[in-house]
Amino acid sequence: MSQINQSGRKTSAIEVEDLTVSYGPVPALLDISLAIEEGKLVGIIGPNGSGKSTLMKSMLGFVKPDVGAVRIFGTDVSNVKGRVAYVPQRGAVDWDFPITVREVAAMGRYSYRRWWQDLTAKDYKLADDALEKVRMSDYRGRQIGQLSGGQQQRVFMARALAQDADILLLDEPFAGVDAATERAILDVLEDLKNDGKTVVVVHHDLATAAEYFDLLILLKQRLFGFGPPKMILNPKLLGDVYEGTLRVFAELEKQGAED
Amino acid sequence: MYEALTQFQLEYGYLINPLIVGTLVSIVCSVVGCFIVLRGMSFLADAIAHSMLAGVIAGYLFMKVIFGQESHLGGMLIGATLAGILTVAMVGLVTRFSRIKQDTAIGIMYTGIFAMGSFLLSLDYIGGIVQIDIYHFIVGDVIAVTTGELWLLAIVTSIVLSVVILFYRPLQLTSFDPIMAASIGIPVLAVEYLLTACTSLVVVSGVQIAGVILVVALIITPAASAYLLTDRLDRMIVTSAILGVIGFWIGFLIANLTGSAAGASVVITMTAIFFLCLVLAPRYGLLADWIRKRNTVPQEIMEDVLGSVMRSPDDSITVEEVLGYIKKPNMKIRKSIDMLERQGLLDVDHGKLKLTKDGLFEAKRLVRAHRLWETYLDQTSVPKEEIHSRAHQLEHLQDQSMVDYLDDKLGHPITDPHGSPIPIDEKRISRDGKVLLSWLREGYRARIVEQRPCENPVNIRVGDIVSMGERSKDGAIWTVITASGTQLELDHDQADSLLVAVEQPE
Repeated sequence: MSQINQSGRKTSAIEVEDLTVSYGPVPALLDISLAIEEGKLVGIIGPNGSGKSTLMKSMLGFVKPDVGAVRIFGTDVSNVKGRVAYVPQRGAVDWDFPITVREVAAMGRYSYRRWWQDLTAKDYKLADDALEKVRMSDYRGRQIGQLSGGQQQRVFMARALAQDADILLLDEPFAGVDAATERAILDVLEDLKNDGKTVVVVHHDLATAAEYFDLLILLKQRLFGFGPPKMILNPKLLGDVYEGTLRVFAELEKQGAED
Repeated sequence: MYEALTQFQLEYGYLINPLIVGTLVSIVCSVVGCFIVLRGMSFLADAIAHSMLAGVIAGYLFMKVIFGQESHLGGMLIGATLAGILTVAMVGLVTRFSRIKQDTAIGIMYTGIFAMGSFLLSLDYIGGIVQIDIYHFIVGDVIAVTTGELWLLAIVTSIVLSVVILFYRPLQLTSFDPIMAASIGIPVLAVEYLLTACTSLVVVSGVQIAGVILVVALIITPAASAYLLTDRLDRMIVTSAILGVIGFWIGFLIANLTGSAAGASVVITMTAIFFLCLVLAPRYGLLADWIRKRNTVPQEIMEDVLGSVMRSPDDSITVEEVLGYIKKPNMKIRKSIDMLERQGLLDVDHGKLKLTKDGLFEAKRLVRAHRLWETYLDQTSVPKEEIHSRAHQLEHLQDQSMVDYLDDKLGHPITDPHGSPIPIDEKRISRDGKVLLSWLREGYRARIVEQRPCENPVNIRVGDIVSMGERSKDGAIWTVITASGTQLELDHDQADSLLVAVEQPE
C-alpha cells in the first residue's frame, strides 16, 4: 500500500516536520522532525510530561501546531480523515459513559459514513469481527465500565481494528494490565505490523522497550533520539533525558554488557 | 355534546397552550440535557441561563430602536441565544489564556453578564423603554404563554430536535472521545459550539416554564435520572424525554390544584423523580447496591463449608451439621451452599452434602493452604494455642504465588506440625504440564523436561523418566529412581532445579 509521490520518492507513513506545540508560554514540543516508514512498530519513550501524548495528539490532528506540520502519507494531517486509528490511555476514558462494548467497536466504522448516515449491517458485522479477534465477543452487550482493565483495553483495540486504518496510535496500552493481556496486545500489534500497518505506541517501560519495538523515539520536549533501540537505549542519552533516575541505567548498562 | 365541549373549552381552555408548550419544552430540555450531563457542562448551562437577561434586553432594545417593535419575542430569543454563546466563548477564552480554572471563569462571566443586564434594566432611561416583567423572568410563567410564543417555541423545539437527531453520532463521539473524533475529521470545536447554541435555545425556551433560576433543573434533572436507569445513550435520551414530560405534567397539575407557582412545582416533581431513580434504579440505584452487597457471599464462608464437608467422616454431612460447625449467620451459610452447588463443587441430595470431583480439588487446595500456614506459624513466635485459629484466618489468603512461597520456604513439607498430611495441588500438577520435581510425592512418575543451573547439578538428562521414592531425613531428602534403577538422593535445591512433566499418577 505504499504510496509514491510526484517526484517518485516513497513517502513516509508519518512525517513530522519542525513541529513546535505549546500550551501557554512553555512549549510542550520543540522543533521535532522525524519520518516513520510504513510497516514499522515504533515506541515513544520519555519521562512524565515530556510531550509523548502531545506528539501522539499532533499525529492525530487533535492539537494545532505553533510551527511545523505533520503529514500522513504526504498529506497534511488536518486533511486526513480516518487513516489514523487511536487507542486512548485508560485514564482518559469516561468509563461511566452510557455505551456498550459493541457500540465502541462500531465507532471504528464512523469514518466510513457521512455524519448523518446510519451505520450499515456490514459495519456492525466488521465491528463484531474485530471483537472476535480480540476475544471480546461474549461481552458485546456490556457497558464498558463493567469490564476488567485488560478487557477495556481490548475493546479499544477492536475499535481500532474495525477502523482498518493504515496507522495505529496507542497511548500507554500496557499501563496497568496483566502480563497475559500485555502479551495478547503485543501479538495483535505484531499481526498489524505484518499486514503492513504502521504502529506507534507511547510506552513507559524502558526495560521492555528494546524487545517490543523496531524503532524508538526518545522525547523530552525536544527530540533526543530516533532510531533502533540499540542506538537509543545508551546510558549517555538516557542520562541526559532521565536526570537523577540512575538506577534504571545501571541495570540497562548491565544488560548491555551481557549482550 | 358540542355544548359540553364548548363548556370544557371555556373552563379549561386556558390550560391547553401551557400544556402544549410545557410538553414540547420538557422534551427538548431533557434531550439536550443528556449531552450536558455527560459532558459535565451543567454549570455552564446555568451560566447561559443567567446571561440571558442581558441578551433579552439587548434584543428588546434592538427591535424597539431599529424597527419600533414592542417586546418582539424573536428578537429577544436571538439576543438571549447570542448572549449564551458569548458567555461560553468568553469562558473558553479566559480558561485558555489564563491560569483561571473553568468553574471560576464561568462564575465570573455569568454573574458579570447577569449584573450588566439588571444594571441596564434598572436605569430609568432604559427601564422606561423596556417593559420586561423581571419577576416573570426569574420564576417563569407558563400560564401566560401566548399562541405566538407557542409557535415560536414549537419551531425552536423542532430545530433543536432535528439537530440532535442529525448530529447524533458526532455529538456522541465528541462527548466520549474527542481525540478520535478529531482524527476522523469531525470538527470538535464546531460541534461544541453547535451544542452550546442548542443549549442556549433550550434554556431560553425553558425559562418560559421555570424562570432563569430553576431552568437548569428542567435540563439536567431528567437527564441525570435517565443516566441512572440505562447503559446506552439512545435509550438514555428517550428515557430522559419521557421523565421530563411526566415531571412536567404532574408538577403542572399539582400547581393548578394547589394554586402554586408552576415552575417550582415542576422542578420539585422532577427532583422527586430523580430521588426515586437514585434509590430504585435497577443497577445503579442505592437499593440495588445494598441488595447486591447483602447477597454476596464472602469467599471465606464458602471455603469454610467446603472444609467442613471434607473433614466429615464419610465425606458426607447434613446441612444442619454444617450450620452447627461454622459460626456465621445461617442465611449466609445456606447461600454459600447454593452458590457452591451452582459452581459444581458440591452435590446436595436430601439435605446431605457431598463434594464433587472439582469440589474435592478445591477443598484440598484449601487444606493445603491451611496446613502450610500452620507449619509456617509453628516456626514463628505465634503461641501454640493460637496457631490453629490464625491458620484458619490465613488459609483464605491463598494467592497462588504466596502459597508457593510458603511451600518453598518450608522445604515442601509433607506433613504439618500435628502430623496430618499436606495435600498437593493435583489439579495444577496435571494442568501446568511443567512443574518442580520437588512438588511431587511418592509414587509419581515423571519425565524431566528442563534442568536449571544449580550448585551441585544432578546427574540426569532431559527426557529421562523417573519415579518418585520416599522422602527421608524429615522430608529434607527426595529419593528419585531412574528408569535404569539407579537411586538418586536430592536435596531441596537439586529437587527444585528439575522441571518435570507428570506421566501418570499412581
